Amino acid sequence: MSGLVASGLELTRGKKRILAGVSAAFAPGSFTAVIGPNGAGKSTLMGVLAGLLKPDAGDVTLDGTKLAQLSPRGLAKRRAYLPQNPRAEWPISVERLVALGLTPQLPFFGDVAPDEKAKVSAALVACDLTALKDQQATTLSGGELARAMLARAIVGDPEYLLVDEPTAGLDPRHALDAMSRLKARGEAGRTVVAAVHDLGLALGHATRVIALRGGKVLADVVAAAVDAALLKALYDVDARIVRDEAGVSVRYL
Amino acid sequence: MSGRLLNIGLFVVLVAMALASLLAGRVWLPPADVIAALSAPDDTLAGLIVSELRLPRLILAVAVGASLGLSGAVLQGLLRNPLAEAGLLGVSTGAALGAVIAIYYGLTAHFALATPLLGLVGGFIAAALAFALSRSGGTLALILAGAAVSSVAGAGLALALNLAPNPYAAFEITTWLLGSLSDRTWDHVWLGLPFMAVGCGMLFLIGPSLDALALGEAQAESLGVNLKRVRLTALAGTAMAVGAATAVTGAVGFIGLVAPHLVRPFVGYRPGRVLVPSALLGAVLLLAADVTSRLISYNTEIKLGVITSIIGAPFFLFLVLSMRRRAP
Amino acid sequence: MRALGLSLIAAGVIAGAAELAAGPSLPPHDAAAARPPSHPLRVMSLNQCADQIVLALLPPERITSVTWLNRDPLTSRMVAEAERVGVNHGQAEEVLAQRPDLVVTGVYTTGALKVMLRRLGIPVYEAQTPESFPAIRAVTRALAEVLDAKDAAEPLIAAMDARLAAAARNPTHLRVAAWDGGGYAPGVGTLYHEILVAAGAVNVAAEDGVSQFAEFDAEAVIETAPDVLVQGVDRADAPGLRRQAERHPLARSYYADRTVTVPQWAYVCGTPYSAEAVTVLAEAFAEMKGKGLDTPPFAWR
Repeated sequence: MSGLVASGLELTRGKKRILAGVSAAFAPGSFTAVIGPNGAGKSTLMGVLAGLLKPDAGDVTLDGTKLAQLSPRGLAKRRAYLPQNPRAEWPISVERLVALGLTPQLPFFGDVAPDEKAKVSAALVACDLTALKDQQATTLSGGELARAMLARAIVGDPEYLLVDEPTAGLDPRHALDAMSRLKARGEAGRTVVAAVHDLGLALGHATRVIALRGGKVLADVVAAAVDAALLKALYDVDARIVRDEAGVSVRYL
Repeated sequence: MSGRLLNIGLFVVLVAMALASLLAGRVWLPPADVIAALSAPDDTLAGLIVSELRLPRLILAVAVGASLGLSGAVLQGLLRNPLAEAGLLGVSTGAALGAVIAIYYGLTAHFALATPLLGLVGGFIAAALAFALSRSGGTLALILAGAAVSSVAGAGLALALNLAPNPYAAFEITTWLLGSLSDRTWDHVWLGLPFMAVGCGMLFLIGPSLDALALGEAQAESLGVNLKRVRLTALAGTAMAVGAATAVTGAVGFIGLVAPHLVRPFVGYRPGRVLVPSALLGAVLLLAADVTSRLISYNTEIKLGVITSIIGAPFFLFLVLSMRRRAP
Repeated sequence: MRALGLSLIAAGVIAGAAELAAGPSLPPHDAAAARPPSHPLRVMSLNQCADQIVLALLPPERITSVTWLNRDPLTSRMVAEAERVGVNHGQAEEVLAQRPDLVVTGVYTTGALKVMLRRLGIPVYEAQTPESFPAIRAVTRALAEVLDAKDAAEPLIAAMDARLAAAARNPTHLRVAAWDGGGYAPGVGTLYHEILVAAGAVNVAAEDGVSQFAEFDAEAVIETAPDVLVQGVDRADAPGLRRQAERHPLARSYYADRTVTVPQWAYVCGTPYSAEAVTVLAEAFAEMKGKGLDTPPFAWR
């Protein structure tokens, strides 16, 4: 089976069952938003899908091959993962930070080759960072850093892009920006999965929504099918979903 | 300045310092004598001093300085903390404890390799403890972990001093702990150099992974970095290099803190690129400290470790203050 | 903390008096201090060096105890005598328990202990630490006076003077260095230096006016090029850096047959017996000279 497929994921930490039998398939060209209340297991699911966390049971396959059987480097070439609130630990330049996304492609000891420089430039252009390329990453604003990290994630043109909370801490404009870029990746035929808190943004950009609660999949539907009843079941809030030409907004009652 | 230019520059300085260290000392040797002694060692004053004393001392100074600078650069990159250093993490104290046990409780007499090996074991245990304690991250956690490990190793040293068989041994332990390259011989070179070389080799291997760690552990892992292996290699490499260095010279602090800092801006703060110049600068700094200790010594030798501490400790203070200003 | 520890240890070691406890000594000022008895019968000595003179001057029945250090043949000349009397560890409690009528201390005995003894009304005599043969004479006579053992002192001093005179008759003028490793050698003002000179040698470590125990590394050995190295006898099983110094390639390749040894007790504590080391050394130097080893082992000199 092609694409990214999770089946029967179970993960327990201490006494808490964080993932309780999660199964889902992610097809190329889709942008899936994972939504759910705090503690639903979204971040854990992202980590397991990325191959960084090992589930106690169940497995994730990539085009039919289990993640555990792929070499870390081979996997890294094909999928990119961005954790929540990523930050730069040293004041390296933005250009350098983006180039780090090519780490799996580089020889062990060696520098970025000319054709890889072109990839970095393209990623910088795509994320509107050209003017900032020589700036130290630690001096970037939150929105700029989020863009830089996204550029880092897409510079190697990975087939799979897994992003945990891409809009956390961003102002509305930058949050919209980030979601549009992810959407564009999906439209370009890649597989994008993002854990998103902002329901308006999630429903407005994603093609598909997986609703997670208590480590279980409550719903796995196209974005347009998410309704107030699902939100009530998911968050225990009464909400009204307004879909119009300007996008999707969720009003809480 | 690019990294390559920096490395070439540092190498030139290192060679110049090395030559100076062959000339300078209690007996000042004319350059011509040193060259003659190097090309054909003989029983002349210069020949004896150069071939028997200053050459092994020079080699050890370079190896120890490089080990300390390199391990500092690796630890800072790995823990993503500019305050990480073998000395501050307690690795040096742990290694010193191992070496003291080997030297003063008779193990060396039966087995010459006991000193570097026990130094290595002490360093490894201390480093493993410090790593484990500072895993939660943050500058404070790191400093606390270092302080905790240092005090445990320090307690061991105090006990060793307390149990010293006679006042002379106690006096020797204390002076030895101050760190010195005085009267080191080829024996010390053959004993310590292999460990330092292997340790440094392991540390150099980590370089590329350190670059990815600039993005944090999760992203580095997602980029194919095997964090577990990197941590273990850093641990073993540091223990080997610093353990053997400490076993030969006693505790010499702050080189590993200062060297990476001074070179970092020149390589664009890339943690992987800091390694080579840090090793070079560490060697330069230690050699400079050793030559200084020979020149300013009057009646009583000013020990190597004392000189590096006098210069390094204010630097540490400055770093702590400037970090507090940058981030709470 | 480390520096303090070092200075305390260094004070004890370098002054050549392995004291019970190192610390500042208080000037004797208290007029109320108890007067020593004219013929003390229960003498307690708290200083390793004073111990040895006390053991030499008094019969065992007049000595209550000496420090435990005197049962170590490495640093004590008086092991047999020390084993016939009691032992103390320099503790105030021991003084109270053993009820001496005179306590002999050294200049490094802790001030607190001296103050306590004075308050308890126990007579205290502070013996000086001699760093030369005239000083040994003076200290021995002064102690004999206090102990009321003048008759025992004069033969000891006469024997010492006879040894010194014999050694002075045929000085070899060998150039020697007392290199024990650890990077130090005794210079002017140390008993060790006086012993070397009395044995008819020239102490190269003291040539440029170096005083006390001064830095003397392998490079200094090459520079000063002594004919012979003098080393203190160490326990064969005592580990430490000094054993490394013996294995120093320099000592191995150039001084393997040019090294003479001297017992540590001779220079650690100045006693009339220190002259015995002078005799031993003078004989060893003469033997070296007889073998033609009165030139440096280095070709360059």
